[in-house]
Amino acid sequence: MISSSKWIGPAVLAGMCLLPLPLGIYPQHVLIVSLFYVMMAASWNLLAGYTGQVSFGHAAMAGIGAYTSGILAAKAGVNPWVGVAAGTLLAALLGLGLGALCLKMGGIYLSLTTLAFSQILHIIIVNEYEVTRGTMGLQVPGLTAEYSKLTYYYILLAATVLVLFILYRMIHSNLGLSFRAVQNDETAARAVGVRVLHLRVLAFTVASAMAGFAGGLYGHYLLLITPEIPSLDLQFYVLAMTVIGGMGSFVGPIVGAFAINILAEKIRDYGEYHVLVFGLIALVVARFAPEGLTGVWRSLGRRRTP
Amino acid sequence: MNRKRTGIAIGLVLALAFCGAAAAQDTVKIGVVGPRTGPAAATGAAFDEGIKLAVDYVNGKGGVLGKKLEVAFEDTAGAPDKAASGFERLVTRDKVVMVLGESHSSSALAQIEVANRLKVPFVVVEAWADEITAKNYRYVFRAGPSNSGVVNQTIAQWVKAETFKRAYVIAENTDWGIGIGKLTENALAKAGIPYESMITERNSQDHYVELTKIKAFKPDVVLAYIYGVGLHYFVAQAGETGVSPKAVVLDGAGPPSLWPDYWKNVGDYGDLECFVSSMHEKVELTPLAKYFREAYTKKFGKAPTDYKSRSIFDGILIAADAINRAKATDAEKLVEALEKTNLETTRGTAKFGLTKGGPEYHQWMPPMLVIQWQNKQQVVLYPTQAATGKLKR
Amino acid sequence: MLAISVMNGLVMGVIYALAALGVSLVVGIMNVINFAHGELYILAGYFSFLFASVLGLPVAPAMALAVALVFLFGLLIERLLIRPTYGNDMYSLILTFILSIVLQNAFLLIFGPYPNKPPLWVRGASDIFGLFSYGNQRLAALLSGAVLIAAVFLLIQKTWFGRIVRATSQDRGMAEWNGVNTTRLNMLSFGLGCALAAAAGVILSPVFPVTPTAGVPIALTAFVVVVLGGMGSLWGCVVGGLLLGLVENLGAAFVSSGYKNVFGFIILILVLLIRPAGLFGRAKL
Repeated sequence: MISSSKWIGPAVLAGMCLLPLPLGIYPQHVLIVSLFYVMMAASWNLLAGYTGQVSFGHAAMAGIGAYTSGILAAKAGVNPWVGVAAGTLLAALLGLGLGALCLKMGGIYLSLTTLAFSQILHIIIVNEYEVTRGTMGLQVPGLTAEYSKLTYYYILLAATVLVLFILYRMIHSNLGLSFRAVQNDETAARAVGVRVLHLRVLAFTVASAMAGFAGGLYGHYLLLITPEIPSLDLQFYVLAMTVIGGMGSFVGPIVGAFAINILAEKIRDYGEYHVLVFGLIALVVARFAPEGLTGVWRSLGRRRTP
Repeated sequence: MNRKRTGIAIGLVLALAFCGAAAAQDTVKIGVVGPRTGPAAATGAAFDEGIKLAVDYVNGKGGVLGKKLEVAFEDTAGAPDKAASGFERLVTRDKVVMVLGESHSSSALAQIEVANRLKVPFVVVEAWADEITAKNYRYVFRAGPSNSGVVNQTIAQWVKAETFKRAYVIAENTDWGIGIGKLTENALAKAGIPYESMITERNSQDHYVELTKIKAFKPDVVLAYIYGVGLHYFVAQAGETGVSPKAVVLDGAGPPSLWPDYWKNVGDYGDLECFVSSMHEKVELTPLAKYFREAYTKKFGKAPTDYKSRSIFDGILIAADAINRAKATDAEKLVEALEKTNLETTRGTAKFGLTKGGPEYHQWMPPMLVIQWQNKQQVVLYPTQAATGKLKR
Repeated sequence: MLAISVMNGLVMGVIYALAALGVSLVVGIMNVINFAHGELYILAGYFSFLFASVLGLPVAPAMALAVALVFLFGLLIERLLIRPTYGNDMYSLILTFILSIVLQNAFLLIFGPYPNKPPLWVRGASDIFGLFSYGNQRLAALLSGAVLIAAVFLLIQKTWFGRIVRATSQDRGMAEWNGVNTTRLNMLSFGLGCALAAAAGVILSPVFPVTPTAGVPIALTAFVVVVLGGMGSLWGCVVGGLLLGLVENLGAAFVSSGYKNVFGFIILILVLLIRPAGLFGRAKL
């Protein structure tokens, strides 16, 4: 069984590489959006699932990435790839700042501060419409000269693999053990010499950078950036995907992001109820199965193979 | 173990999800985009009515290319991102041959990029920003008002005809609002009428501070470009703060003053308000307009009010006519057919401009009216030759 | 300009204070932030619209019924969602955040996207000392909001329920030791918190009609007021609410109306930086 875990990663990756080839343009689009949400949910999970910091500013960080890169490209003609790098960096810096600001407070105060940050950003974007075009949406160039869904799919797949690889290494290192220690018992962790505050700030910076990176790429895929990226609605999707998939589990957000996005497409056939349906699913899962779908799956497996 | 199971689970979910069905095609499908939710959701309802009547009309006359015409209506929520992705969904998933509709300029500006990229003909019916046609995209047409058309042919002319002395321009923060606000300022400056202007948030519920600023300027006309229920708050609060009836308030979009909730939301302050519209029972330009009124009353058991139901009706007639003349659903042939359109609609004969370089390209501007609520009755004020009464203040 | 902005600030301030009182009560006793507070405000507005405009009940009973129903709904939420998470304040935050989105979308499905407006209590506008003309309904909202706040203070300061509430929010362990049934107290105070949101909702919805998402800014403002005044401090809510109402409206008049709502959030971050306990809070986190 141990050997099987070695080939499962490459096998899934190979499958993901082949997956879009037989599909039409529209399913390819759904996959690309799902990959964006995998990056968002997986990095938010680092905060909420591993260090116990429920941030409501993760979508705002994606907005920072998207708007930085978008404005640079649309107004100053900067190469989109350079712009994405700049957006990632700015999100990392803001994450560092916010993380440091919230050092002394924990829990609810951190949630409220990140919420305030996200609202301030939203208001600025809407009001400075001469630069951001506010709710009208900013048209931005694509990442490649020729627009092709398949190219975007592979770009986002590569980005997702990169993000997941970094997260995996972080979680499965000594650092990851310390993260868990911080989440479970702050005082005890401090007693054994874990530098709680540094860890929190580090997690905040890395997760924000990842959200900025994902947002930057996503903006250049959509070709249109609106305040819907740094919105509470997008924040809700990220949270719901993580909760449904399984908070504090590495595969949880990945499963959650794909399941929710594909489910959304199925529900869309019956009308615009998908947000209500996810909300109800998320509520039931959060209340009765706090470890999410992967938790349920795991406990089923445990029952079958004693 | 866990990871393996999860891997299989992901695979299963993905496989299941894409077992979509491909239906057999014995219809010709066109797409409509418009806001069914958001601040102007009532426009979606108006579009819905217009679509039903148009589909009945077209299919009653033999359909298109010997098949039945079918319409897929996608909600854009008045949000450009949803509009662009909805447009793309219509084309890539529902395989529509042509798209029409839209009522928000910012949404339309996002959609024309998609239309151009996917090479699908797109007939805008009620998004007014000049840029939509001024970009001169081959696949983009507009069978409906443009900002410059509405301002220069109707609103500015009406302001001059009523000899207003001081004007205040308040415009929402969208492509339509900012664009039409700017054009109005230019027209007022040219006519030598003193004015001031401000930009407002289209979803704002509280306009007291802005109205206090407006009151201080002492205007005798307020040109309000707020599309959505925001206009109702503005009109009611203009009454409460005493800006109206000293100043006449003009709703520069039109439909909000005609929505079912208008009187409920504005109360008595709604009387004597003016608005632009392209529909009034006393001003029916073609036999088709009469047909529309009768068919509408028969089908929905009430008289038509929101003129945008008729705009989409015209749009679908134009689309069906183009498909029939092109004898194909191929995009290039459809564009050529649209360019040769010469069709009698409810608002006159539709014909698209072909001179490149400005907003007149691929544009047909139907005539607009200025109407005033007088004791809850619609009285046409402008154009003067069609007027059914005089401005009351 | 100054006069009317101050007046607007007072009206909004009273409503903010009322909405924040509900949040503060729940935070003080249960250490739970109810993210769906704004949606309960909206729910009460819808109920009030439904009973008065659709079923034709007189305005006052319609409003009372709306508040009572939201109170019961609050009890239900506490029982089903909050109680099992007790002690894990992050989890209750996540649950109520999801609940708020669920409610918004349920409203959209049931009531549609249009604003719904319960009937006005009074029509027309009044001339205020010759300074400006002001909507009568807004004046009525100011007055009834102030009366309700006074009633809440009486309840907390003068009744045995209030004594228990104060005792529990000061020292939960001691209160339990003295025989307070904290489970029932949690349920009651959560319901009361929701009822206060509902009261704010029925008072303000004739002025600002309710839409499915209109509760979000109300809830966010209530959180700002609670942090500004100090978590769990009732006086803090009143002072914080009025202060925020005034700052927002003066800011809108003299700085920028587009940035009206940004002032509150900037205040929030400043307070958290400089004095996390808030204006009237005890220094505990």
